[in-house]
Amino acid sequence: MTAPLGRVVATERKPNTPHEFHFWTSLESVVGIGTIVRVDGAHAVQGQIPHIYGIVVEGFSYTDLQSPMHDVLGHDGSPANAGFSVTERAEIRLYTAAVLRQIPEEPLQPVPMGEVFLAEEADVAAALRMDGYLREGANTGIPVGVYRAGATDSVVYLDADFLLGPEAAHLNISGMSGLATKTSAVEWLLSSVFAHFPAEKGSIAAVCFNVKGPDLCYLDQPADRLEESDRVLYEKMGVKPEPFQNVRYFAPYTAKGYALNTLRSNEALLHNVTPLTWGLREVLQYAEVLLNKDDIDAKADALIDFITERVVDRRMEKEGPLSRDHTVQSFGDLEAWFRDLLQGMERSNAESWRTHHIATIRKVRNRLSNISTRCAGLVTDTGDVSDLPFGSFEDRSVYVVDVASLEEDAQDLIFARIVSKLREHLERRDLGVKHLIVFVDELNKYAPGDGHDTYVRKMLLDIAERGRYLGLVLFSAQQFRSQVHRRVVGNSGTALYGRMDSDELATPGYSVLSPATRTKLATLEKGQLMVRHPHFTQPIFVRFPRPAVMLGRDGAERYPQATDVTLENALYRSLRGLDPDITMAWVQQHTALYDEEDLVRARNATLLARPANVRAFFQSRLRTIVPPEPVAAQGRPAAKPLRPIPIGDPYGD
Amino acid sequence: MTPDPVTGGNERDWPVSTHEATRFILDRLRDSTPLDGAPTDAGRIARQDEPAVLLAPEVIEGDSLAALPVCDPVSARGVSGFAAFLDGSQDVRVVNQANGIPIVWATVSATVRERIDRRLVSWQGRAPLVSRRYYIPFRYVEGMSGELRNDSRVVDTAAVADSSGNFPSPHPAALLEAAVKRVQRDRDDLERELAEAWCSSEDRVLYVDGGIAGSEAVSASRLVVGVVKSHRRIYATGDAFRILVRLEAGYRTSIFKVSSRSRSAVASWYVRIRSAAGRDALFGLIRVEASLTEDIASRADEISCWLIAEGSPLALPDGRWDKMAYGIRNTEEFLRAVS
Repeated sequence: MTAPLGRVVATERKPNTPHEFHFWTSLESVVGIGTIVRVDGAHAVQGQIPHIYGIVVEGFSYTDLQSPMHDVLGHDGSPANAGFSVTERAEIRLYTAAVLRQIPEEPLQPVPMGEVFLAEEADVAAALRMDGYLREGANTGIPVGVYRAGATDSVVYLDADFLLGPEAAHLNISGMSGLATKTSAVEWLLSSVFAHFPAEKGSIAAVCFNVKGPDLCYLDQPADRLEESDRVLYEKMGVKPEPFQNVRYFAPYTAKGYALNTLRSNEALLHNVTPLTWGLREVLQYAEVLLNKDDIDAKADALIDFITERVVDRRMEKEGPLSRDHTVQSFGDLEAWFRDLLQGMERSNAESWRTHHIATIRKVRNRLSNISTRCAGLVTDTGDVSDLPFGSFEDRSVYVVDVASLEEDAQDLIFARIVSKLREHLERRDLGVKHLIVFVDELNKYAPGDGHDTYVRKMLLDIAERGRYLGLVLFSAQQFRSQVHRRVVGNSGTALYGRMDSDELATPGYSVLSPATRTKLATLEKGQLMVRHPHFTQPIFVRFPRPAVMLGRDGAERYPQATDVTLENALYRSLRGLDPDITMAWVQQHTALYDEEDLVRARNATLLARPANVRAFFQSRLRTIVPPEPVAAQGRPAAKPLRPIPIGDPYGD
Repeated sequence: MTPDPVTGGNERDWPVSTHEATRFILDRLRDSTPLDGAPTDAGRIARQDEPAVLLAPEVIEGDSLAALPVCDPVSARGVSGFAAFLDGSQDVRVVNQANGIPIVWATVSATVRERIDRRLVSWQGRAPLVSRRYYIPFRYVEGMSGELRNDSRVVDTAAVADSSGNFPSPHPAALLEAAVKRVQRDRDDLERELAEAWCSSEDRVLYVDGGIAGSEAVSASRLVVGVVKSHRRIYATGDAFRILVRLEAGYRTSIFKVSSRSRSAVASWYVRIRSAAGRDALFGLIRVEASLTEDIASRADEISCWLIAEGSPLALPDGRWDKMAYGIRNTEEFLRAVS
């Protein structure tokens, strides 16, 4: 049996309660803030010796000195003399611990006097109630990190039922930027989830929105630096230290449309990068995202609904102000329809068409036509669609949508549509996987606690509040938790905290933490997290390994972003990904003949279709141009002049 | 069953607190009535028969008492040969009365605190000696059971007559005084037991709070130094007294011999461990007792330096901080906590 490291103490002024107790230790003890301890009661309650588990939340140190002045007097006012004292003053290390669990749980009593022991592995499991979900045959534990204190090295597990639903769900991560907390923690945790999510609970995948920099751009590449200590942690937690095996990237084109608008545009990495392009049909449903409240009054809303229901993808015959038949399938078609309609109304001097006032029609035309410009690269005039593989999501796959370089409008549109589609498919149970994790960083921006209500915020709130019933789980991250909408963070069953800013810690949301715990949070090392989870009655500090994937900055150095390319180069690069035999000369043959718009459209269609014969498919998407033929020298009679030229004709040759 | 380390009795059925002591005796003495059990100023009572006197010293170093420089009180700090500190404590309470006769309950304890790496811990991990006893004048209390009378933890404070053959008066104050003296004696016994144990097993020097002449073995040992802080008896008269009260910090007096019929002879001297400028004449003044040895003069210098060094850290907030070593304060606090 190990020796006790402390003793419980209580005084009338500082009594123990059912939720808190005090103990002292020797000056050399390994106890610190966040250490888990076990108290063995001295007297049985209902025939059972009580065991109380607690976590240290506050520490005190003092001597028998009653006034600082006494120390000054004792050393003649010279601090240098203090070191010469033959005796050190009696000193105490007094700790306050918050109760994690009492066994037996009833009757719930104040913590009794007793010896205090450093919690061992079994104690940690009991203290955190992990014994309830780590049972043989019903193990739903997902390792989140390792708790360390003294000789104890214990894996801390989250309960999958409470991390990924259905009991509770969602995860929120807070931490200062640049300290390898948020992205690293999510990458590590996704690895852990993929490795440990119970097979009997079904398939799981993740959709990650890369909102800044190259953070999530190299999830399929091995880490440059993985130290032995990290490998030990991986082994202890039963996760292979390797990058994600199945990752697909999605990114819109740049405004020019030549190259993909992503930091992962290096040719060596393009094999699993898919363009993300949407047409009118995909966008119109989420027009609300791009139009502000001033844009969409009731009248405009009604017209947009009319267009969605009665115009798009329907044949509109020539009638009334329309001068011809229309089939609207793209932004180009829509513009043509608007133009025809308005010209017709102006011709006939009509003020309204089908109850829609001409001013409303002009306004909606203006706003909708504008979308393809505002979201150039994502929204195509032509209606070409390249999308996430809704319906065929694969188990243990990561789908990264890179929106880092996009304008805010385009980002919002992407969030709204993708998450809505995911939700629809999960509701219909035809997404391809049963559970889906959606990771969104910078929640300060997308779901702020103040400011006007946005479509994206409403959607994030909806996931946070109802997603778990569908298997849609939100992993979110931000620097300042206090600035995120309360219902989003409040609905996160699990919360991780990296090193925090002192100002943030001073906000009311952290008042439940002791001053010492807040101090520890403000000074956490890289690779350390504070974890809150429904099973843990108090926050727990753990260590997690470096992610086994390439860091964003390493990837950006090793795989530099493709520079701004010419049309020829863009076509050559993207088509060579499908057919390595394609040559630059072949591409140049086509660029010499066709317009830029045609070539880009053909390239996009080819990338989308991924045909077996790339050359033939690409060419089939271009207009047929009859090449000029040289006049045959032989075998063909020379054309006769219609009539001979009169001799001496002053207008003749 | 946990035997009392002093009496060998069974501690489990013996009171360990004032409240228990009150109830315990209430159950066994039908005529007794409980009292609030407030602590008694045993020190004041014990000093009542100790007059404040000046005595001529029997100087054994030089011809007369002189002030001798020992060391710079600042530079001396940090060097001390004392390896441990011995002190005792007593807590005397009147917990009941039986027809006006005080029933005294006292806890007496003593311990040695050893200094290891500048920190004080129990000597060899030993538990302190603790004795909890009733002090009752049997002859004045009616209805005492045989069980109480025969218990070694119940002391008869009126069993022995004085040299004139008189037993203590039944006056409650006289009986309380007799009880306090007996408690003091028990405390001395515990301290002596520990000091003798030290002398027989150690080769380092022990700092004892108080005189050492009560034990022949201890007073003859080079391993024990006694430090007396109270000056009811001052070994200086006339010029010697003037030298004594003007003694500066870092000085000691010549060595003189202290002896009495009932106690062993020891070497003694005064040391001023703190400057008394602006203070009373006895501020920072202690009297040291050590064994009479050939080299006592050089030992006196060395021991005085150690005593000056022990002045830091201060023993505040104890009222005797000017004379008290921090080790002794720590020992007293320890005993207060555990007994």
